[in-house]
Formats: sequence, C-alpha cells, structure tokens
Amino acid sequence: MKKTESKSRLGKVIMYFYLLVMTVVFAMPMVFTLLSSVKTKLEIFSDPFALPKVPQFVNYIVAWKEANMSRYFINSIVQAGATVIILAIMASMAAYVLSRFDFKGNKFLLLFFTVGMMVPMHTVLVPVAYIIGALNLKNNILALILIYVSFSLPFSILVMTNFMKGVNRSLEEAAVIDGATYFQVYRLVILPLCIPALSTISIFNFLSAWNNILFPLLFINDKKLKPISLGLLNFNGERGSDYGPLMAAIVITVALPLILYLLFQEKVEGGLAAGAVKE
Amino acid sequence: MYIALFLLPALIVYLLFQIVPLILAFYFSLVEWNGISGAALKFVGLKNYIDAFHNADFLLSIKNMVKMVFFSVLFHTPIALLTAVAINTKCKGYRAFKALFFVPTVFPLTSVGLMWYFVFMPTGSLNALLKNIGLADRVVPWLVDPATAMNTIVFVNIWAGIGYYMVILLAGLTTISDELYEAASIDGATAVHKFFEITVPMLKSTISMCILMDIIGSVKVFDLVFAMTGGGPNGLTNLPTTLMYNEAFKYSHYGLGSAIGIIILIACLAGTLGSNFIMSRKHD
Repeated sequence: MKKTESKSRLGKVIMYFYLLVMTVVFAMPMVFTLLSSVKTKLEIFSDPFALPKVPQFVNYIVAWKEANMSRYFINSIVQAGATVIILAIMASMAAYVLSRFDFKGNKFLLLFFTVGMMVPMHTVLVPVAYIIGALNLKNNILALILIYVSFSLPFSILVMTNFMKGVNRSLEEAAVIDGATYFQVYRLVILPLCIPALSTISIFNFLSAWNNILFPLLFINDKKLKPISLGLLNFNGERGSDYGPLMAAIVITVALPLILYLLFQEKVEGGLAAGAVKE
Repeated sequence: MYIALFLLPALIVYLLFQIVPLILAFYFSLVEWNGISGAALKFVGLKNYIDAFHNADFLLSIKNMVKMVFFSVLFHTPIALLTAVAINTKCKGYRAFKALFFVPTVFPLTSVGLMWYFVFMPTGSLNALLKNIGLADRVVPWLVDPATAMNTIVFVNIWAGIGYYMVILLAGLTTISDELYEAASIDGATAVHKFFEITVPMLKSTISMCILMDIIGSVKVFDLVFAMTGGGPNGLTNLPTTLMYNEAFKYSHYGLGSAIGIIILIACLAGTLGSNFIMSRKHD
C-alpha cells in the first residue's frame, strides 16, 4: 500500500512539473506583452520581464487615439456583430426548413451546404477579388459581411439543423393547429427553442469574423473601415518601433475575445469544439 | 413556397460567395489575367500549374508546408492529449491551467503572431533574456536567420493550437467510464499502462479527428506567417497560402495564384482522404 502511495505521489510531482513547464511556455509571451504595454521602449528590452518603474498607461491612450485603435475596434464590433445577426437569421431559417419539411432535394441541399466547409479561403481568393471588382464592391462593408456570412453558413446550418432535428415538435404542431403560419411558428416557437444552438454558432461566428484578416486585406483599404486585426498590422507597419503603444494595441485586440471567453467559458469551448465538425 | 422563402437568403449568399467563386477558381487557374476587371482572359490550359512546379519559390513553400504539417501533427495531438489527461485529474488549479492553454485559440492569429514576433525579433525579449542570464552566445535573430525562421513559425503554430485539441480531447475523456480505470487499478495497472491500454484506444476516433483537422489546419496557416515574417527573409518562410497571396495580389500573377489556390484545396482533400484511409486501415 505504501509503495503505491509513494508511486502516486511521484506521479503527481511529474504531472505538476509538466503543467508548470507548459504554464511558463504559455504565459511567457502573454505576460511579456501585458507588461510591455505599460513600459517605456527602453524598459521593454533591457529587462523584458521586470516591472515598469512608472506604469506607462499613456501607451493605451496613444494606441486608442493616435493609432486609431478605437476606430478599428468599433469597425470590428459592427462587422462581426452584423455577421452574427445575419447568420443567426439565415442559418435558423434554412435549418428550420431542412429539419422540418420533407421535400425533394432536402438531403441534397444539406449536403450541398456542407460542401463549403471543405473549401479553403485561399482557393477562392482570386475569384472573390474578381467578383468584388466586377460588382464594384471595394471598401464595401456589406460585401465583407456577406463574405463572412457565406464562409460561416455551412457550419452554422449544420449545427442548427442537427439541433432542430432533436427538438420536440409537439409545440409547433399545436401552434399550426391553432392556425399559426409557418413564419409565426418559426419566429415564436422555433427561434426561442433554438437559443442554445444559436448562442453556440454566434460565439463561433463572432470570433471568426473578429479574427479574420484575409478578406479585409483583399478589398478594404479605406482606413476608416478597417477591422481591428488589420488595423493592428497597419499600426505595426507604420510605427513598428513604438513598442509600448504597439503592445497596448495587441492587448486591445485580444481583449474582447478574452472577455468573451472568460464570461462564457463552456460555451466558447463547446462552440469551438463543435467547429471541429466543421473541417 | 415557404420552403423557397426560408432557404433563399442563405442559398443566394452561399452561391454568390462560395460556389460561384469555387467554380471560377478552377477556371481562373487555367487562364492568364492581369487582374483588371474587364480585361481579356486568355486560356492557357495547365500552364499555370506547370509554371508553379517549375517555380523554386513554390517548391520551397510546399517544403515548408510539409514541415508545418508534419511537426504540427507530431506535437499538437500528443501534447494536447497529455495536457488533457493531466487536467482531467481535476487537480488543484485545473480550471486555470485549462483556461491558460486554451486562450490563444480565441485570439486573432495576427495578434498571436505579433506577440511572438516581439519575443523572437533580433532585439526581442527572448534574446534580451538570454543575454541577461549569461547565454549571449545563444542569441539568434530567430525570424531572420534562414536556419531558424521557419522552425520558429512552426513552433508558434504548435503553441497556438494545443489548447484547441486539448479541449476536444477533454470532451472525449469525459466519455470514458471511471469503472474501466478502477477495474484496471484493481488488476494492478500503472498510470502509464492505463494511459496506453485504456485512454488512447478509447479515444482513437477523437485522436484521428484531431490529426485530420490538424493536417487541414496546418495547410491553411496564413495569418501567423503574414504577421511574423510576411514570407521573408527572401521568401524562405512562405507557405503556399502566403505565396499565393503575394503572387496574386502583390505581383498580379492571378493565374499562378489561382493554380496555387487549387493546389491548396487538393492538399486539404488529400490530407482528409489520406488520413481517413490510414485510420480505417488501422482499425482492421
């Protein structure tokens, strides 16, 4: 008995040592960025992990105002927010029909929608640029949002359809008997029932839009319209040696995803793991 | 009637920005086009593909891609599995560990790339740290030196992805019943035994799913390279994705860019089919 006890204690030591090493590797760049965001340029690289003599909160003001991060931040909120709302509506409407109505081509349509999950963004980049050019959609935020929507639709529709297939139909049937139209059923019965699945896809879709850089890179060159990740790269390109404010800008860029994660930990993990089906 | 009304919004957006571009992608890879809308498209057959495979930059990017996929697969899932098992013991602080390892997954990869850029740049924090602890001779311009640049990016990709696979594997671990472990304990199995005899076999399908996603995900890496090196020095850290972007949108080689885009698609499909094939054979 004693032997197994000491053995399990050894196992614990090894496990904690492993977790400690992992913690150092994972925390290192984040701590460095956070510390540097309140340090002077000189302090940052003379002793990267020392505390600042006087915290330079001014770095955040420089990043937020002078480097336009406030503008980029709001742009991303608007773009990602609109993407989420449009996707929630489109995906739930499509999923309602695909999960409830037996019509010709139903199965094919679901399969057709999921084909998009296999398509890497880079494969369609040139054609998308071509369409943007042909339809004169450069710097058009709506086009950007619809592209985000189209790339997240397959995943969203699949998750919503699977969820709805498992939802009990008795409520809808009662509503139909009471004379409700399909639109009313969708709006008053289906949508409220689907809130768990809707929040899952919404978190996933929000993060995808917030983190995307490829499409804005392609056709948003108006500084007033750029989203945050692109704005951050811009800042780095223009004032790459303003280390303090740059670090502050990085912190501003990751702040919202971080807060979302801390608030909805289970949902975010579940949503991203559901995205696992995506690929 | 209702069916059409409910489906139409999604279908139109999906067709316009996914299916039509996908079909056009094949077409564009077979033509020469200078990028100006309205300009004539000249059909050149497979020339863009042939050009790609005679292009040293492209071959290098493929080599980098293979490296990226190989080392990501080699490290992601095993580290993620070990970490998931450790966290699944519900040891002290396990929630904090999980959150710390997972959080890079929700960050924009551009900011992850920049974070690490400031760590690895010649005057960056890693080199400063090495100097401060008396290892000045180990100082390397990590992202500039051709010998270390690509490896450094591969490392960051591994770092950024572990949390994702960890969470998926954690979900898998909760489905294994405790009774199996208890029974094994009674039979005198050690922790290592239990790991290889119970955990790994029970998670087989989850593990193969992780590997499959990892292959596809690693082929598609773009943001990290774009933020850290832009493909440099001298195109040495280009992946097909960044090369494709540069060729098409910097140098207006749209045909070549499209061909590389199709090759990326084929690489993803091959990864999917290949790993499916290997996994199904292993099952027999």
